[in-house]
Formats: sequence, structure tokens, C-alpha cells
Amino acid sequence: MNKSHDAIIIGGGIIGTATGYYLAAKGLNVLLLEKDYLTAGSTGRCITGIRQQFSTPATIQTAMESVRLFSHMKEELGQDVEWTNSGYLFLAHEESKASTFKKVIALQQEYGLDVRFISAEECRTIVPLLNTDDLLGASWCPSDGQANPFLVVKAYTDNIKSLGRTIRIGEEVVSLQVSGSRIQSLTTKAGNTYSAPIILNAAGPWAREVGLMAGVDLPVYPERHEALITDGVSYMNIPMLVDYRAEGGYFVQRVTGQFIGCYTPEKQVPGKNTESSLEFIVEMARRMCRLIPALENVAILRQWAGSYCMTPDGSPIVDETDVKGFFSSVGMSGHGFMLGPALGKFMADFMVDKSWPFDMKEFSFGRSFGAKEDMA
Amino acid sequence: MTDKINKEDTIICRCEDVSLADVEAAVESGITHPEELKRFLHVGMGPCQGRTCGLLITRILKQRGGSTETVKPTSQRPPFVSVPIKNFIGPEDE
Repeated sequence: MNKSHDAIIIGGGIIGTATGYYLAAKGLNVLLLEKDYLTAGSTGRCITGIRQQFSTPATIQTAMESVRLFSHMKEELGQDVEWTNSGYLFLAHEESKASTFKKVIALQQEYGLDVRFISAEECRTIVPLLNTDDLLGASWCPSDGQANPFLVVKAYTDNIKSLGRTIRIGEEVVSLQVSGSRIQSLTTKAGNTYSAPIILNAAGPWAREVGLMAGVDLPVYPERHEALITDGVSYMNIPMLVDYRAEGGYFVQRVTGQFIGCYTPEKQVPGKNTESSLEFIVEMARRMCRLIPALENVAILRQWAGSYCMTPDGSPIVDETDVKGFFSSVGMSGHGFMLGPALGKFMADFMVDKSWPFDMKEFSFGRSFGAKEDMA
Repeated sequence: MTDKINKEDTIICRCEDVSLADVEAAVESGITHPEELKRFLHVGMGPCQGRTCGLLITRILKQRGGSTETVKPTSQRPPFVSVPIKNFIGPEDE
């Protein structure tokens, strides 16, 4: 079987489905291929947070556009995705952190973000249960929020299907065909070949392998992160609390009343291992109670693990590669769900019109990869 | 037999209040992978972690021609039953 399409997307997570939706909405005959099941990669394992508090211009603007899209998703896609602007509170327990936040806030405000530095006392009015020992203040953005990643992907895929386009689950890409440094087609494990002038690598943790199939060596690698969710308790509107201390972590109360959270391991753990560890659940329990002691009576329901798809500088690679027609939207570095809707829209526009809404050099394929940014 | 019962009133997942009609509508819309049903309908994600609905879902998918390769129990995750956070935390370190 050899079928021709206008564009093919590799990957059924937030990036692939959002981009697929915006391409389909432009009238393109899109095919989306997912090797396992929808949200099987990073999207379905994230902790649902959506923030705009970043430290570089392109990321701030992308995240702000994403929040706009999330807040209108019900009207645009016809489905409720549990979007709530519950806010993000970045806690500063050290002077150096506080001054970094203040510097970054000034930049974020230049783009019109409703963010400000608040006192420990004000933190207590937002989260009365918060342990404010040693707390100097926090960077607070009330328009940050949360949504349900499963429902967002479902909303995008339902819309792709209702626009008459195809999504194939369980169809794994095994090779890409390039001719004259232009992408031509791809072949799947099932032995099907599909051709298109546009192919997008949205494979998340598998992005490097997919890139190499076309001879494109993307500087991305998966990194293991664990997460947990508790039983639901009454909704107290507790925003995402980000604790940057050595034994910190981040968690939020879902609209379901459940707490969901994780921490970044001190030492990076490369690879795609998604097994659960006892060490994580014990450590996370302790860290959550350090911030909100009252959580000791809440019960942990489930833990799991997933992969961040990292780049050396913590910013994604959203661009055409040096193989013409072969695009990448990868290396989300833990921000795929929150940036996904806007990046999907921008990428669809870029594929068709060859233009970005603002300077996206930070995300370019050919950049030199420096060190990680402050709030990356 | 499933044609004779009231599908709206037949609860498949008690924790998340998902009926047989909900599951069938989802399958009808093209969701045929148990991991997708779990994520999109939340079946098996409540306090019982799929002890009741897991087998029912597997049976429904198999009855509708699901392949043995994909229709199997979803990932089981610790702690398997809800455990209060305080039970994970020992006495304060010195």
C-alpha cells in the first residue's frame, strides 16, 4: 500500500495531535501515526500544569498563546478539557532565588504577563495551609493553570477525525525515505508506505531515533521523571507550588480535588524506564508535607513514571531540519503539554506559510546549544 | 445478553461512575485500546484502581473484536490501594 498525503505526523501526544488538528483545519489531508496508543509517551504522564512564567522571550510568548488557546478550547474544539486558571506559585527561600525571580518577572511583564513578586504573607492568603518557614516570597501568576492532558488530546483527535482525516493507532514508523535532501515517504512496521511532502517528527522520547531514520541527528535525549497522584479531597484551589530548594518538588491540586506532583531527581536519570520506585513515593511524600503539613492525612492513590525529552539548553527544537520537508517539534524538556497547543498552531502555520508569529530563533534547529535557562 | 440490559444503568467503573453505555460510545468512536479507554474515560483510575472494571473492559473490547496484542490489563501501579501520606514518612531526621 502506498498512499499519498499532504502531511504526515509521527506521534500521538500533545504535539502531534495539536499540529495535526491545525493542519487539518487548514484543509490539509493529514495522516497521524502513533506506534502505541494516544498519550502513551510524555503527554499522558505529565502532571497537568500550564505555566507562562518562563525566562526567554519565545517561550514566554508561546506559553501565553497556549494559555489563550487552552482557555478557549471548549469553544474551539467543542469539548471541556478541565482548563482552570489555578495559578503557579514559584517559591523563593533564598535571596538569590528572589532576585532571579524579580529580574525574570520584569521581562515577563514586558510581554504583558500578569505576574508579580508577592510576600510570604500574601502566599499564605493564597494557600492558607502553606508552611512559610524560611519563605521570602514568590513569583505569582494567577493566569497560569492546569488542564486534563487526556481530554485535550482526545479533543484534538476527535476534531481531526471529524474533519475527515486519519489517525492510525499501533502503526510504528520504521524508516524514512530521503532523496536529494528532501523527505519523500515513510514505511511502517506493518509494511505500509506513505508519502508526503511534509513529515513531522513529534515522537517525544523517541524523537532522536525518528530523526536518525532521515539522517538527522537531533540533540535530544529522554530523561526519567516520576510522579504521583493522591485521592481527592475538597477542592481548595491550591495552585502549582514550585519549590526550588535542594529537596524541593512541585505539585498542584487538580480540579478533581486530587494532588498531583513530582520532583526533578538530583542526578539526571537518562532513558525511558517507566517503572515506579519506592524511593520516589517516600521522598515525594516527605517533600509535599514539608510545604503543606496537612497533606499527611491525604492518601496516595497511584505513582508512575515518564520521560522528559530534553535538549541541552532546555528549549525545544521546533523547526524544519536540514532535510527539506522534514520538520521537528521535539525536545520539550518537560513543557510539551503546556506549550503544545501554541506550538501546534505555530508549526502548522510555518509548514504552510513559512513564517513564525515572532522571533523563534531560540527554538531553531541550527542554533548552538548553550546552558539551561533560569526558569527552563 | 448485553442487548437486554439497561446500559445507562449498568455501571462498569464504580469509582468514576462510568456506565456500559459510556464505554460502548467510546468504543464506537474508535477508542479500542484499553490504555486509551483508561485515560479518556478514567475507568480504573479511581480508588479501586481497576479491580472491578479492568476485567469487564477487557471482555467488552474482546467481544468487539479487539486483538490479543492490545487488549490486556492496563499497567498496575503502586501503592495498589490508597495509603495515607503519613504512612510513608518516618520520624523526623535529626
